[in-house]
Amino acid sequence: MRRYLLRRVLQAVFVLWAAFTVSFVILYLLPGDAVSAKLGGGEAGLSVTPEQLAAAKAEYGLDDPLPLQYGKRLVAAVQGDFGRSIATGDDATNMVVSALPPTLAVTGFALVLALLFGGGIAIAGTVTRHRRLGDLLLALPPLGISLPPFWVGLLLIQFFSFQLKLVPALGSNGFESLILPAITLAIPTGAIIGQVLAKSLRTQLAEPYAEIALAKGASRSRVHFGHLLRNAAVPSLTIAGVVAGNLIAGSVITETVFSRDGLGRVTSSAVTAQDIPVVQAVIVLAALVFVVINLLVDLVCPLLDPRIRHRETADA
Amino acid sequence: MPDVLVRTRRKPGLILAIAVLAFALLAAVAPGLFTGQDPLAGVPAEKMRGPSPWHLFGTDETGRDIFARVVHGAALSSQATVIAVVVALAAGSALGLLAGFRGGALDSAIMRCVDVLLAIPSILLSLALVTALGFGTTNVAIAVGVANLAQFARLMRAEVLRVRSGVFVEAARAAGVRWTGVLGRHVLPNALGPVLALATLTFGTAVLEVSALSFLGYGATPPTPEWGSLVADGRGFLATAWWMTTFPGLTVAAVVLSANRLSRAIEGDVR
Amino acid sequence: MSRTAVTSLIALTALVVTACSSAGGSTGADAGPPKPGGTLRLGISSSPDCVDPQQVGTNASLNVGRQLVDSLTDQDPATGESKPWLAEKWEINADSTAFTFRLRDGATFSDGSPVDAVAVKTSFDAIKALGPKSQLGSGYLAVYKGTTVVDPKTVKIEFSVPSAQFLQASSTMSLGVLAPAAYRKTADQRCQGDGLIGSGPFVFESLKQNQEIVLAKRKGYNWGSSLFEHQGEAYLDKIAYKIVPEPGVRTGSLASAQLDAITDVQPVDEPQFTGNGFTEPIRPNPGVVFNLHANVTKGVLTDEKVRQAVVKGINRPEVTNTVLTPNYKPATSILGSATPFHTDLSPLLAYDPAGASALLESAGWLPGPEGIRTKNGQRLTAKVVFSLVFNQNKSVLELVQQQLRKIGFDLRIEQRTTAESVQITQSGDYEYLWYNTTRADPDILRNLFSTKANNRSKLPADNPVDAPLDAQSSTVDPAKRKPAAEEAQRAIIEHGYSAPVFELTQVLAHGPNAHGIGFEASSRLQLFDAWVSGS
Repeated sequence: MRRYLLRRVLQAVFVLWAAFTVSFVILYLLPGDAVSAKLGGGEAGLSVTPEQLAAAKAEYGLDDPLPLQYGKRLVAAVQGDFGRSIATGDDATNMVVSALPPTLAVTGFALVLALLFGGGIAIAGTVTRHRRLGDLLLALPPLGISLPPFWVGLLLIQFFSFQLKLVPALGSNGFESLILPAITLAIPTGAIIGQVLAKSLRTQLAEPYAEIALAKGASRSRVHFGHLLRNAAVPSLTIAGVVAGNLIAGSVITETVFSRDGLGRVTSSAVTAQDIPVVQAVIVLAALVFVVINLLVDLVCPLLDPRIRHRETADA
Repeated sequence: MPDVLVRTRRKPGLILAIAVLAFALLAAVAPGLFTGQDPLAGVPAEKMRGPSPWHLFGTDETGRDIFARVVHGAALSSQATVIAVVVALAAGSALGLLAGFRGGALDSAIMRCVDVLLAIPSILLSLALVTALGFGTTNVAIAVGVANLAQFARLMRAEVLRVRSGVFVEAARAAGVRWTGVLGRHVLPNALGPVLALATLTFGTAVLEVSALSFLGYGATPPTPEWGSLVADGRGFLATAWWMTTFPGLTVAAVVLSANRLSRAIEGDVR
Repeated sequence: MSRTAVTSLIALTALVVTACSSAGGSTGADAGPPKPGGTLRLGISSSPDCVDPQQVGTNASLNVGRQLVDSLTDQDPATGESKPWLAEKWEINADSTAFTFRLRDGATFSDGSPVDAVAVKTSFDAIKALGPKSQLGSGYLAVYKGTTVVDPKTVKIEFSVPSAQFLQASSTMSLGVLAPAAYRKTADQRCQGDGLIGSGPFVFESLKQNQEIVLAKRKGYNWGSSLFEHQGEAYLDKIAYKIVPEPGVRTGSLASAQLDAITDVQPVDEPQFTGNGFTEPIRPNPGVVFNLHANVTKGVLTDEKVRQAVVKGINRPEVTNTVLTPNYKPATSILGSATPFHTDLSPLLAYDPAGASALLESAGWLPGPEGIRTKNGQRLTAKVVFSLVFNQNKSVLELVQQQLRKIGFDLRIEQRTTAESVQITQSGDYEYLWYNTTRADPDILRNLFSTKANNRSKLPADNPVDAPLDAQSSTVDPAKRKPAAEEAQRAIIEHGYSAPVFELTQVLAHGPNAHGIGFEASSRLQLFDAWVSGS
């Protein structure tokens, strides 16, 4: 077990380093640079002179040879310092860290809603004896995935905020401002969870042990909650990474639509501005999140399904 | 495949889904069949008109007929989704296959690289491709494809591992069949079902992802119509000219739903 | 909606908007005298990355920074003349290389230190020292030599070559004065509001990236510009700039009273705010209008007749009527109508497809396949590079593309990111550039067209614009500047160095509770006279 953990940690370090390096390469290969983006986006627009550009690049160290820039950044990054944002002048790590709480609030709430509704619909749709009701319920997840999220968000704002004036359309103050963004984010995520869980549950329902349990007289709900769910959970957990990715990508949109601060906004502004320090900080953070999630999933699955446990240790 | 046809009996949902997809495909190859109006040039005097018999989906801010733009947009959108799916399927499956088959260190290395890919936001990939290759739906589609390849890699790898540990594979190997034979004869045919199902599903979601990237500013070059861009560009008019974003949005939703339905049918998971 | 209904709506909108708009500001009808107190919730479209007015260049940041600092002079939005602010009077030497300002009494920074000659010198030296970090100031102070403290109330600012544009520049917030104590913090810190000590009517209170920026009233302020409508403190207790990137959400928030005022109202949302208690203050941006700026050394644009045909082949009123609204004026010159010394050259910019076709035929461009003219096997085509700094850029260019098609010209549209556009501009690898630049002084033409400056048209040394551009930059005497500026504008259009199309306009909207939201001469927000009622 210890060797396994050690290997996973080493792999995690590799992932972080690779994420850092790939983002560096991509950003430097792009034509244009942070300085051009910054100077060109202003009212001076295209009246920027070559001297101004050159001076600005020197100021931010963008005219050092590439390997030197990479080396400096890597050394600093290892100590948690990703440099200062070229667009705002603020410390990059600070920007990312302070953007986390609003994003976590929305994605956390959205995840809870997604699990409740997605999971709830999947379970209800497969437990119920009424086929029509079941079919209806299970038709909802595909619908959830087929609607563009920004469209849903705008419609929700239009209706609940501007027309009915029930919730605020802007800002990050208080619980009420979380509701609409969380719902918008929860719909596609819940839909994915619902679909995968429903499929797993149906697969499990067809397994011999389920038939036997039902034949023995167990009620459908007991079979579901007692046996099926645990077994169906495993394949569902494997999409945890996909769900996380969905939530993160979705937050770019919900934060823009709902005018909230958060990692999504920080990411999209930084990418547009080719603001290397901030983009790298975000990517390394995202890589860290995926690594941790995958590690947790890989540790939890064997606990739920002994067959995996043995296979893993055999391979290890 | 014949399985699917058998299952269409008494399944109106599936028939509808296939019909919708067929329409979309037909519109992509022969748009002239559905509309005679010009999707690129509008009549400025007729701008922002609501749905009418003359303009089924209304007109946009420069007077272009939206139905014509949706029909002509089918080609570009289909192209975009095909590119996205092909990129995700080919690259992802290849990686998953390699990882599952070789196992060991290579497996870990490949899967960790896939993790790195997940960490890179698709918006950065889009920006990279768009600035390297120019603004346009094709390049955005490639970015979407790359962003989606992780799922295919994982799926293929899982399938390979599943089949690999099967008894019949052991038997085949014991009988002297080479790995390539096992691959061709056992792994791929078995993996085909789930992978195809995922591919069909991705056809649908790729359009939405392209649309999201258009929303963030990386859409089709003017004046070419494309579903995702139509939905994104029309959102500013939601309060005043709701048809500009709603009809393309409903079209997208219909196609995605249909793709989803077909995907489940292929997977054999329809009740 | 029927065609007549749409036309009537447009006409009605035009009437109402003309009645409501003004260059100076707006007042709600019968709201009574201005009342002090209250917070103005202002929705803006993008997040100011930095709030230090000496460093920033984006509209969003400038709209915040203007309220925090005072400038030596102020510029009258109606006439373009310089008026006293921190400086009571000034003298300029004969060749515009030395500007002597006499400062008024009583002005202090928010940390209590006096606004005296030493402070002004420190501020200007510091702006110069910022170098590239001062996006606009570095241009204004390009040939800055130094500042001398003549006495505690007098400064002399000198330049190494004539720099007449400096008088106008001294009214901008980019050259606004910060306290000496501000420079104990780094530029990056000031960007975030730390150590941002100015003498302006508002002081910085808080900044939450991507969320909001809050400014608070400066107590005891009593040295406002001579152009302000009242003297003493500002009315508002606080200004809360809320960052709302989605246009639809901005307008909806104003309509549902979650915001008091918004900027960047999109053309499609304008009709919502005419009448029913809302007001739409507008002001066109001075400077260079949105134009197709030609590189005369590339492709078909080397032929002057082709360039002239393009100028004639654009139906400017159709562009503003279709994609935009009556608030956006068709271009009447390369300079915007709000620019000092703007000359109305509309006859040169009239839509004349017949004339354009005649020019092209006489230059040997004959009708070819797909409706695009050809000459010796070469197609009449050029590419325009643009970025989405203005949301409607894409639609405008698509319409212009359609219009030029009718005279047989194929305008290919290529969208790029802002960073790339800057690179392309620097490299000179373009045929047409699409952009605008805001500056309340004709010197911006020298910056962009003169062979001694950026020379974006890549003109040869012997050209008709260098001389008049130099002439207008060497004197502050309006009697001499005006004809020189006119000559330059005329030459640019007649030779087709640029095909101006329309003027960028700032369109705001506010509810019945907000009053007095004004524009200064560069069409940025001036909120000194703003106040809120009700609530």
